[in-house]
Amino acid sequence: MREYLVILRAELFGLFISPATYVASFYFLSLLAIGFRFFIESFATTDWILPPLASLVTGLVFGAPALIPFLTMRSFAEERRLGTLETLMSAPVGSLSLVLGKWSASYLFFLLICGCAFCFPLLLLLMFPDQGETLGFTNFEQWIGGWLFLMAFGASFSAVGIFASSVTRNQMVAGMLSFTLLTLYLAIMAFSLGDTSPTESIDHFSDFWDASLGSFGNGLHKLQHFAVGLIDVGTIFHQLILGFFFLSLATLQIERLNH
Amino acid sequence: MTTEAKPLPIVEVLDLRKKYGAIQALKGISFSIGKGEIVGFLGPNGAGKSTTLRILSGLIPADSGEAKVCGVDLAEEEGEVRRHIGYLAENNPLPEDLRVVEYLDFRAKLKGLGGSRKRERIRIVLDICDLERKVSERKIGNLSKGFRQRVGIADSLLAEPRLVILDEPTIGLDPRQSAITRKMMERLRGEVSFLLSSHILSEVEACCDRMIILSHGQIVAEGTLLDLQKEFINSTVFEIVAFGNRIELQRVIRKIDETCELIQDDPVEVTGKRRFTFATEKGSDVAESILKQLLEVDQFRVSEFQITRPDLETIFLRATKKNWEDQDFLGRNKKRPKIVGEKNK
Repeated sequence: MREYLVILRAELFGLFISPATYVASFYFLSLLAIGFRFFIESFATTDWILPPLASLVTGLVFGAPALIPFLTMRSFAEERRLGTLETLMSAPVGSLSLVLGKWSASYLFFLLICGCAFCFPLLLLLMFPDQGETLGFTNFEQWIGGWLFLMAFGASFSAVGIFASSVTRNQMVAGMLSFTLLTLYLAIMAFSLGDTSPTESIDHFSDFWDASLGSFGNGLHKLQHFAVGLIDVGTIFHQLILGFFFLSLATLQIERLNH
Repeated sequence: MTTEAKPLPIVEVLDLRKKYGAIQALKGISFSIGKGEIVGFLGPNGAGKSTTLRILSGLIPADSGEAKVCGVDLAEEEGEVRRHIGYLAENNPLPEDLRVVEYLDFRAKLKGLGGSRKRERIRIVLDICDLERKVSERKIGNLSKGFRQRVGIADSLLAEPRLVILDEPTIGLDPRQSAITRKMMERLRGEVSFLLSSHILSEVEACCDRMIILSHGQIVAEGTLLDLQKEFINSTVFEIVAFGNRIELQRVIRKIDETCELIQDDPVEVTGKRRFTFATEKGSDVAESILKQLLEVDQFRVSEFQITRPDLETIFLRATKKNWEDQDFLGRNKKRPKIVGEKNK
């Protein structure tokens, strides 16, 4: 636990002093702010069925493949390139603490950026309370739902980024791999593969496969529930499984490097 | 009758083996290091030095064999062993964007130091490694190679380790920086055990209590310099600076002493002469007879003759030569072509 906290603190410090993080965060938040403004302006004329806050969450989720690589690509790739991973492993620190420490740092930074993005509707509410209320920004459950949705997806996305960083010495390759995996994952979810309807009994492997793929594949559709404050535990659980899977792969990769 | 308890060695290695694919990097080496000893780990490139050091520091596992550090088995309690070890990796990789004190602070926390003890240890290692305040506030990326090396050594000493493993600590350093590193080890002699890998033999000769010479994954020599001199060069060694080729020179010398063996042949700068080092088992009298004989041959124009004690370089070359000739590039024993008519043993 101690090593984990030391690594986490050092990684957060590294992210805070890195100019690349600030540049990426600035552009990401700027684009998100512009998009959010246009959405709010045109909200009355669109047939968007979800609350306006959900548009911000959607923007953050679809923008994550561009942001997450900037937060994670350095973590292991840079250590491997400089050779400092060996120095790090010579201290009494395990591979799991190392992977978890680095993942937690990028995850917390992602949440920080999400927090900054949530300031847009908050500012709108503070500056123009009437319009804010009309747009549903006073509904507390929508904030909680949106935040939990981002927390779940952020956990799995940053785990994918950490895994991508552990397989190469080159930051750019790690970044591109992370971007590709996340885009692919979002595409799978967006194209809604599989059957989402609950299955009474699974008699064949194809039924099981369809149901599993359906649960993962339709993850984005669950935003409808989160957006109105209905917490879908299954979605959170699926994202945690995915995060656990990629973090396990990253740990195995670090263990493998030592053999 | 009283029996004095023998102190437990800091490092105990027994039949350690490691294979990388088809290459057998370590072929069952065994050695031990006592408390406060400074041991030099020598060997040609690819001999298995770094592999042994990496196994001892818990970075990679051995395929078989036993390695204990401070009585703790590496295979069973790798994390515990790392607490007793300070390790300076070859090339000493360090994060470029941290200041020296920030880096040492991070490493101290990682090694379980905290509060006033952490501050005290950082102050002590900065002092031992001669890293004054001005340097400790600078970013590591802006430091010279010598200072970076000292930062690496300071890190290895942080948690008061009982064993410090230094893989090529003075590579690329100027003589002054190398002397500082040696001085640092001298300062800690007796308190901390050092296992030092280096290609700079004069340095190992100057600061190590004992040497272990490795070749093709096997220990080919072990002991103090005096032990090695006795074991490998149990003969009179003499140097001749002369013109001419070595075959001609050897032919003349062998007329007087058939056992006389050429150990080294180096060019002497500018003059065009060569420095030949020979060893004879027949003592210094024969060496003098050889000199007289050579002076009579005009073509050699002998300008220097000296009876010397073999240095570590001579011992190193002698110890690794036989092993080197017996192995192929994968470290396997070469198959000797069967001589026609040779009987099967």
